[in-house]
Amino acid sequence: MGLVKRKAIPPAEAAKPKQEQSCMELAACLEDADPRTRRRAARDMLHCPHAAGVLASRLNREPDTAVREVILTTLVRLNDPSAAGRMADCLRSEDAALRNEVIEAIGLLACDVSDVLRSLLADPDPDIRIFAVNILDSRRQPDVESWLIEVIERDAHLNVCATAVDVLCEAGSEAAVDPLLRLKDRFRSEAFIQFAANRALKSIRGA
Amino acid sequence: MRASPPPSEPVPAITGEDFLKFKEFFYRKTGINFESAKRYFVDKRLVERIEATRTGDFRGYFTLLRFQDSGEELQQLTNLMTVNETYFLREEYQFRCLVDSILPEIVQRRTGSHPIRIWCIPSSSGEEPYSVAMYLMEMWSGISDWDVEIISSDIDTSILRRARAARYSIRSVQHVPALWLEKYFKGVANEYQLCDDLRQAVEFTRVNLSEPADTFRYRNFDVIFCRNLLIYFDDVSRKTAAETFYEALNPGGYICLGHSESMSRISPLFKVCKFPEAIVYRKGLEAR
Repeated sequence: MGLVKRKAIPPAEAAKPKQEQSCMELAACLEDADPRTRRRAARDMLHCPHAAGVLASRLNREPDTAVREVILTTLVRLNDPSAAGRMADCLRSEDAALRNEVIEAIGLLACDVSDVLRSLLADPDPDIRIFAVNILDSRRQPDVESWLIEVIERDAHLNVCATAVDVLCEAGSEAAVDPLLRLKDRFRSEAFIQFAANRALKSIRGA
Repeated sequence: MRASPPPSEPVPAITGEDFLKFKEFFYRKTGINFESAKRYFVDKRLVERIEATRTGDFRGYFTLLRFQDSGEELQQLTNLMTVNETYFLREEYQFRCLVDSILPEIVQRRTGSHPIRIWCIPSSSGEEPYSVAMYLMEMWSGISDWDVEIISSDIDTSILRRARAARYSIRSVQHVPALWLEKYFKGVANEYQLCDDLRQAVEFTRVNLSEPADTFRYRNFDVIFCRNLLIYFDDVSRKTAAETFYEALNPGGYICLGHSESMSRISPLFKVCKFPEAIVYRKGLEAR
């Protein structure tokens, strides 16, 4: 017993799968009972055309966290704007972990997701609008402040506005001062908004 | 009398556009992302390679980089762009964690006698995998009952050559206890040569962590050390690396990151394990 060195890593040729799987086969593997097969298929679909749609449609049904994680990473790497909308559908899921994973993944997409964000921010469900603000928070896009200002100027729901104010504490500049004052005026009787907006104003003015 | 070669033309400066073009290409190929703050570091190395390859300017060099069949120049450049700064027994508490907490836990639930497999990536010049080997020999009583395989990988082929040669500066071995130094090293002209027994205990391989065609052979590991590498990756590449490690680990396998890195901020695939010596991350026992 002790430290041993054999050819612990097989040479590439010996270990290579006998043949590359076609995109259709990979798509079929996404439905396999074994999560390892689904995980590898999700990873290998990176080079398949139309992969975004196939992966996004699996996402909502996928029970295994590790497979979901690979699906989301592949979707982010595909960077296909059409996938963002399909991913956003998962924000309506009852599964909080899935919702958080999707918020993070859309935040990582390098492509323009303005259309998706606009539609999420106009959703009748305030929870979906809060998730949209969370996505704005996670995206490092330069115009995030103007999106947040629009939210606090227009959204009627206290919690949606409060979430946006929270992000403005970090992302806000002088441009957010007047909208924050108007928000305070709009929710005059809501102590929490008064507190949150004052905190944001202090953070902006102190900066 | 032979005429001296004409002085070569100075290489035109790398422009902002060149930098962005290169940055995107290099990221796609290696997963390594250079922010603008690294501009000087990158530009200096690009100019060095433009001169060495006599491609004249960025455009000529970039064409070589992109279209060379052998990929030799990309490898040369990767070697230059990666940072290889380490020393023996760096962040020693993790090695203590390995022998006092991780390995006892692994052998306790081990059925059968197949070897324990440890993967160190990046290998850099070999200090880390050799530290693991030394630590196991000196500090883990289980070494008399179990076989251990140590595999160490890096994207940089020149650093792998140095790792195999295993010759080190005084600075590199400064934290090695005197007794170990005497036992495992031999002084050679102001340097220290590691003994053959330990050199032969580590298998060094070239791996690009962002390339599935490279990583699919790396399976059935019990412990992975990946310290101070992911800090050079962007969020998406970090996630991809985490997924590669997940595939490479046995159920219940452990991953040790550098002290400033946190897997919890990268991926939800692993569970946090707070051992007395260190915080490490574990693939679920039930995972496949």
